[in-house]
Amino acid sequence: MIHLSNKRKWIPYLLIIPSFSLICIFKLYPIFTTLVESFIVDSQFTFSVFSELFKDDAFWNSLGVTLKLNVVMIPLQIIISFGMALLVNSAVKVIGVFRTIFYLPVTISLTVACLLWNMMLNPNSGVINSLLGIFNIPMQGFFTDKNQALWCIIIVATWKGVGYWMMFLLAGLKNIDAEIYESAKIDGAGWLKTTFQITLPLIKKVLLFVFIANTTSNLLLFIPMQVITGGGPQGSTNVLMYEAYKSAFKYGDRARSSAIVTILLILIVAACAVQALMLREKEKS
Amino acid sequence: MNRKIKKNVMTCCIYILLVIILIITLFPLFWGISASLRDNSELFQYVTPFSLNTFVPLKMTIESYIGLFTDYNFLQPILNTLYVTIMSIVLGCVVNSVAAFAFAMFDFKFKNVIFMLILLSFMIPFEAIALPLYQVADGFGMVDTHAGMIVPCIASGLVLFLFVQFFKDIPPSLLEAGRIDGANLAQVFFRIMIPLSKPIFITAGLMIFMDQWNSYLWPLLIARSKDIRTIQISLTAFQTEHATDWSSLYAASILSALIPLALFFPFQKYFVQGITSSGVKG
Repeated sequence: MIHLSNKRKWIPYLLIIPSFSLICIFKLYPIFTTLVESFIVDSQFTFSVFSELFKDDAFWNSLGVTLKLNVVMIPLQIIISFGMALLVNSAVKVIGVFRTIFYLPVTISLTVACLLWNMMLNPNSGVINSLLGIFNIPMQGFFTDKNQALWCIIIVATWKGVGYWMMFLLAGLKNIDAEIYESAKIDGAGWLKTTFQITLPLIKKVLLFVFIANTTSNLLLFIPMQVITGGGPQGSTNVLMYEAYKSAFKYGDRARSSAIVTILLILIVAACAVQALMLREKEKS
Repeated sequence: MNRKIKKNVMTCCIYILLVIILIITLFPLFWGISASLRDNSELFQYVTPFSLNTFVPLKMTIESYIGLFTDYNFLQPILNTLYVTIMSIVLGCVVNSVAAFAFAMFDFKFKNVIFMLILLSFMIPFEAIALPLYQVADGFGMVDTHAGMIVPCIASGLVLFLFVQFFKDIPPSLLEAGRIDGANLAQVFFRIMIPLSKPIFITAGLMIFMDQWNSYLWPLLIARSKDIRTIQISLTAFQTEHATDWSSLYAASILSALIPLALFFPFQKYFVQGITSSGVKG
């Protein structure tokens, strides 16, 4: 710390004013208005926006889609990225090349990923249907089939996302002392035992971070619906975030949009709290 | 001997898995590149039945790339995006590093409260505030301007946090030495801190670049008119406006992916260091 004389105590405040005021105006104030708008109508505190929302079938459908998407996608992405992190942490030749390539989809925007996959998964002229043709599997509808669209979005988002989480988990793995593995080996612990009883507990902090960041970003996933499906077919991919977007910008109903975002924030906080508790439980046992 | 065989089998398995993931990772990119190099008449001809020509274009042509600039004026969104990203990088680095300097170097009243608020802001996902943020930006007259895409994204809790972490690791003795030699605070910052902090400036710059280059929701809301559109918005607009011209859409997608990639590769080391050092250590 640099000591400042009394006359110059104002200097640090001057330095933080630009960033702090920008953060207040463009980050903290909007979150505040979201909460206010969803609870206050005509300057009175009320739950009416929510009670309206809870009567709405579109909302319940949307909530169901959001939960379905996330219950599958969050564990899937974390398991795959952990597996990938373990793989690229192994000491085989040219592993650096693999690591870099696995990270490639991260540098590509989700928009581009969606466009590419949308064309590949085109039911009539997409390459994936042609690939399935080799195995005599009939043509699939993918994004146009209401039973498949959500799963296709999961594929696209997972393809694009796992490299990012892999990097964090890899950083955690790299921090583990190699000696620990050596002694585990001497004790005769197998691969499974080592992974579950040594590796996982040792990277718990990183794992928790990945869980929380992954949950947040997946609950707010929006681009594939906007770019590819428009929430369809038949509302099968109409997640809450997309419903909030439509409420604000298509139907001009800001209160409804704010209420949905508030519910999303509650879901995020709840999901993160559960994950944090579960990881802490494991620590005790 | 037995152990050696076991080890070889293990290595083999690892490589097989690596190659499978490699194929899944690269397939869409490879497919996109190959499709962008075909002309439209050839594009669907070889998709089914599956053969070598499904992947390798018979006649390679970069016509669709040229067409992007001659027919679709794709240069404009690229320039718009470059302008927005470069301004964001410059302003973002200045504003956040200066504040981080204050947090890392001085003790002052309310320091911890303010720092907590800033950290809180980076836990608030952007998508959650995008809709009310539109109202704020509208109040400042920023709708449909470049400023609307730049100003709200300058101050970033994450970037500021990274700067603070880095500055804290600079040995105070270096700075004290500078002070004893009579340097004032500005000199300490510019002559001692900045030269020592090149890696963190590169990391921060890359992060802001990736964020801005790939951002979609915010420009979609704030920059509606065609002449200030950024690249991601143009891409999706392209999909609806020229749905039939697939090879151009492939070309546009590949092009917009290649530009950040070209930047990412030389600085890869910093970027990965940056994201992994963002506060999470095993």
